[in-house]
Amino acid sequence: MFRRQKSHASERKKELFSQGATRFTLKNDMRNFHFLSRLVLSAGPLKPTPAVKHSKKIHFEIEILDAQTKKQICILDKVTQSSTIHDVKQKLHKACPKWYPSRVGLQLECGGPFLKDHITIQSIAASSIVTLYVTDLGQQVSWTTVFLAEYTGPLLIYLLFYLRIPCIYDGKESARRLRHPVVHLACFCHCIHYIRYLLETLFVHKVSSGQTTLKNLIMICAFYWGFTSWIAYYINHPLYTPPSFGNRQITVSAINFLMCEAGNHFINVMLSHPNHTGNNACFPSPNYNPFTWMFFLVSCPNYTYEIGSWISFTVMTQTLPVGIFTLLMSIQMSLWAQKKHKIYLRKFNSYIHRKSAMIPFIL
Amino acid sequence: MAVAIEATAKGNGGGGGRAGAGDASGTRKKKGPGPLATAYLVIYNVVMTAGWLVIAVGLVRAYLAKGSYHSLYYSIEKPLKFFQTGALLEVGIVPSSVVLTSFQVMSRVFLIWAVTHSVKEVQTEDSVLLFVIAWTITEIIRYSFYTFSLLNHLPYLIKWARYTLFIVLYPMGVSGELLTIYAALPFVRQAGLYSISLPNKYNFSFDYYAFLILIMISYIPLFPQLYFHMIHQRRKVLSHTEEHKKFE
Repeated sequence: MFRRQKSHASERKKELFSQGATRFTLKNDMRNFHFLSRLVLSAGPLKPTPAVKHSKKIHFEIEILDAQTKKQICILDKVTQSSTIHDVKQKLHKACPKWYPSRVGLQLECGGPFLKDHITIQSIAASSIVTLYVTDLGQQVSWTTVFLAEYTGPLLIYLLFYLRIPCIYDGKESARRLRHPVVHLACFCHCIHYIRYLLETLFVHKVSSGQTTLKNLIMICAFYWGFTSWIAYYINHPLYTPPSFGNRQITVSAINFLMCEAGNHFINVMLSHPNHTGNNACFPSPNYNPFTWMFFLVSCPNYTYEIGSWISFTVMTQTLPVGIFTLLMSIQMSLWAQKKHKIYLRKFNSYIHRKSAMIPFIL
Repeated sequence: MAVAIEATAKGNGGGGGRAGAGDASGTRKKKGPGPLATAYLVIYNVVMTAGWLVIAVGLVRAYLAKGSYHSLYYSIEKPLKFFQTGALLEVGIVPSSVVLTSFQVMSRVFLIWAVTHSVKEVQTEDSVLLFVIAWTITEIIRYSFYTFSLLNHLPYLIKWARYTLFIVLYPMGVSGELLTIYAALPFVRQAGLYSISLPNKYNFSFDYYAFLILIMISYIPLFPQLYFHMIHQRRKVLSHTEEHKKFE
């Protein structure tokens, strides 16, 4: 007759009181009377009071549901208002040990964005009971690990091909033909590119949002390592054909490559030390360094310079697979640049609209 | 595999137009296309159904005329190429899973043009007949399914056929495709078809023979996945329909 429910004390009292009043005239008088007397003894003020006014400290109750099955996993109670998502994950792990905090993703609604660790419960809570959906995100790795793997692989793989390991190329052919200087230059440039990336990952970039899935790591590494193997195979092949326009083509593209590398480096350094002056607190402004003047023309000059490097490398080696790699990278980077450009346009009212996202005046 | 992928695309709501009738994929939105778009889709599906019927009739007539089932490819070569390539138009129409549909259409078009058309010697193979029959039956049923769905008058027989016949047609089609590619291999190697070798100005090489072998190997992981997905879809759709019938 009287269902036991897990709800707040005041709501429960209200419910039972109303149930007791209407069913008082039913058969089981003794039970009713007994219950009513208990109710009267424990009753507080009759009008429902919100939980806020009851106690000085606001406690939240968090119901955790599985995002896929929608079944309730557990309920965390006595969560203080200053608790963050991070604390919730720790509590969840204590209550149900199989949910590791580093692998858990919490959402306010199914299909919504995953809540970041630093968000407080108070900011997302609509009432004193909060429902969160939990998903196991799988094995996670930090972005730093991803970058380090992503850049070390190509560095080593290219060198393997450069050293002409006998199992890759035919031994006799390799020994017989002299290598054109551009092959050595290409190896040098490629190594500089990736060594610079590695050093920047370690010393310059600030790691932003911690982690990604293991599957992502494998896919990114497969892409980079696979393409590097493919391009290294052709450039270091005994039957490699040097560029059609000879030394002029090589020299011009090599200088261009070095300039784009320098530009990319300066932009990365600048992006990691944003100046906190005035309204454009997050957007860097160009300074005396001529490489940073690209900021006048585009929102994401780091992508511009990177594409520039790869185009120079393609022209320098005149190898179609490098061109294909450059094309794919450009497509990916232009998508990122468009996204960032939109964010800037939305964020800063005084943003100059004649700027383009990545390629000056075009894209 | 081309048969199975398009079969999976069915389950995921791919193909020529949105079906107004309730389908197993509950993620599909119920709002249909506008009247003009519906008319276009109906016409498209009717034309494709008719086209594949032409191919089916052509096969039967050629068989009766010749008395044997060998080398029937030549009698339906042109309509086959036309209507299968015409399926490229579907890619833009599909509201969801563009990737799956385009993958399926590309693999079909690849088989028609890059293997059967390019390597003339395989056109007399029986494996060609195998996949042509599988495709013909599948496509007739599929396009008529979409036509009826758009007109909101889907006979249960068509639905049943669509979700049941694949059990036989899919392995049949896959065998036909694989055998055809396998038969084409020696001729590709001999003629050096579509292959570039070093040295050349752009430092690029491509071995079509190795590429075909890679394609054949790719059937191994994809075939079971798609097949079992379709079986799962079948259980969902046909049991769903039975439930509907109970309530009617």
